[in-house]
Amino acid sequence: MSGLSLQSVKKNYGATPVIHGVDIEIEKGEFVVFVGPSGCGKSTLLRMIAGLEEITAGDVYIGDQRVNDVDPSHRGVAMVFQTYALYPHMSVEQNMGFGLRMNGRPRQEVAARVAEAARILQIEELLDRKPRQLSGGQRQRVAIGRAIVRDPEVFLFDEPLSNLDAELRVATRLEIAKLHRQLGGSTMIYVTHDQVEAMTLADKIVVLRKGVVEQIGAPMDLYDKPANLFVAGFIGSPKMNFLDVTVSDGSVVLKDGSSLALTGTTKAVPTVLGIRADQMRLASAGEGAFSGEVSVVERLGDAEFVYVRTAWDQEIVVRVEGGSNTPVGTTVGVVLSGRTHFFTGDGLAIEGLSLTRN
Amino acid sequence: MAAEAVEGIRQPLVTPRVRRWLVSAGLAAVCCIWIYPLLWMVSASLKSNAMIFANEGLVPSQPTFENYVKAWNQANIGAYFFNTLFVTVGSVAIVTISTAMMGYVLGRRRFPGRGLIFALIIFTIFVPQGYTIIPVFDLLTRLGIGQSLWGVMLATSGGSFVIFVLLFAGYFSQMPNELEEAAKMDGVGFVKTFWYVMLPLSRPIIVTVVVMQTLYAWNDFLLPLVVTLANPAIRTLSVGVYAFKGENFVDWGGMTAASTITILPVVILFLFLQRYFIDGLAGAVKG
Repeated sequence: MSGLSLQSVKKNYGATPVIHGVDIEIEKGEFVVFVGPSGCGKSTLLRMIAGLEEITAGDVYIGDQRVNDVDPSHRGVAMVFQTYALYPHMSVEQNMGFGLRMNGRPRQEVAARVAEAARILQIEELLDRKPRQLSGGQRQRVAIGRAIVRDPEVFLFDEPLSNLDAELRVATRLEIAKLHRQLGGSTMIYVTHDQVEAMTLADKIVVLRKGVVEQIGAPMDLYDKPANLFVAGFIGSPKMNFLDVTVSDGSVVLKDGSSLALTGTTKAVPTVLGIRADQMRLASAGEGAFSGEVSVVERLGDAEFVYVRTAWDQEIVVRVEGGSNTPVGTTVGVVLSGRTHFFTGDGLAIEGLSLTRN
Repeated sequence: MAAEAVEGIRQPLVTPRVRRWLVSAGLAAVCCIWIYPLLWMVSASLKSNAMIFANEGLVPSQPTFENYVKAWNQANIGAYFFNTLFVTVGSVAIVTISTAMMGYVLGRRRFPGRGLIFALIIFTIFVPQGYTIIPVFDLLTRLGIGQSLWGVMLATSGGSFVIFVLLFAGYFSQMPNELEEAAKMDGVGFVKTFWYVMLPLSRPIIVTVVVMQTLYAWNDFLLPLVVTLANPAIRTLSVGVYAFKGENFVDWGGMTAASTITILPVVILFLFLQRYFIDGLAGAVKG
């Protein structure tokens, strides 16, 4: 298994730049997830690693070999496509062995490797079927099987769960996590727009936006210490609440005029206060940092998301225990009890600042 | 309210079942008119020359196979049949493989001059066959196959390939990119990807092309007539049938028997392949 290194990688389509110089180091055996909204360039980046897109500038190393000009099949990578891309006229067995057969591998070797991959993925009984006779989840396994058969240094997954229904997506997510361990910790790069997939699967998350890396880090690092407003808003569900604030006399002032004392010193001027839904709690009207009216309650069973409309007409979401039965329309106070984040006008996170507890 | 709504629904004059029956009957009547010449031909081929104009209706009173025997043995239709088979099979093979390859490149690759090539190929549709006969004949003569079945085969292959290239190009262009990319990741080259992945997937178009080129090659008249003018031994069926028309006498019985022998293989082919054929055309239109 090899690691991977992207150094100032750029991509232009004609005159339009889509990847603006990306640096990523991936250790061998790591499970890395590229995550970002659609159009952020995450799939393009993956395809550049695969060799399906040319690299406009910069270098891609797999292991210690520069692979910019190496043919995709010689890079030691295997890719699982979003649409599976199984050959419709071939059986599962032929699909998985196609590459090896075409490259003149002996029949027994192909059969043995296909059988081994089928065993790992538990699809032995499907080997004679055509792709159209398989369910979505089974096709997904075959597509993964086709990658395993090649025994690659690096696995590339391009939104592999997007075409599955919600239940199967959760199950397959789990399978992929298990597979990563089972394959002796192969290096895996996984592209998704779903931050839940990113959080659950990744050893390391790369958050991308508009062809630029916004932050790289372990899932909980990104969750606890987002580098900027974008990452703060993108990672975590429900989305982090952002409150516009002004600073006066060592306090931040909310839009309704209520003021909260600050602890810590910094030169940066905070203009946005970010707080996650589970870091607040509800109180009686008049208590807490500010008050608002409950507009919607989403019941998830174990928890409820209570949407509170503030005096300055912003909707804030607060996570409370399930079964709280907060009636819609009541006025409640919101207590900022947990971890807060502060951001500058440019959207950058400010370290070392928190609200004073009283 | 509910009662009013029910009254508002207009009751049809005939039930759907009756309407279907009426439409079928109407279509059957049209179909009879359509195939009458064909039926007449088959009927005439089973009558003697004297009986053909005796006005006795479609069912022959004294059916005879004499015309068939005569046509097959004396008029050389047997030999012409195999000439035609040779030309048709050869041209179908050439046309199917070459148009699939052209269609694949034109449909899936972006290269400079692609638009121009498309335009030139399509332009040739508008050139009537009559104008190309002399240059084609000249070309065959210079290649030294102006008097042979190989020449007929080659010339027949050039006649109708444009539509087939467009059919293939249209079909290949809608195939998902991922299939090619997956093959690329598997280390499968351009030619092998075409042969093992793309070509098997284009079966509906292949069938369409095989049927249409078979029809074209089997029935083509002008080109074989010109090429075989000096060498009657290499005539094809369509030219051979024409030879029944003498200067003073037309052997209608022999001609209709020869014509029936001519169209029989085509009809059988279509019966076997019609489902794929219609799929292929429908697929091409959808694209």
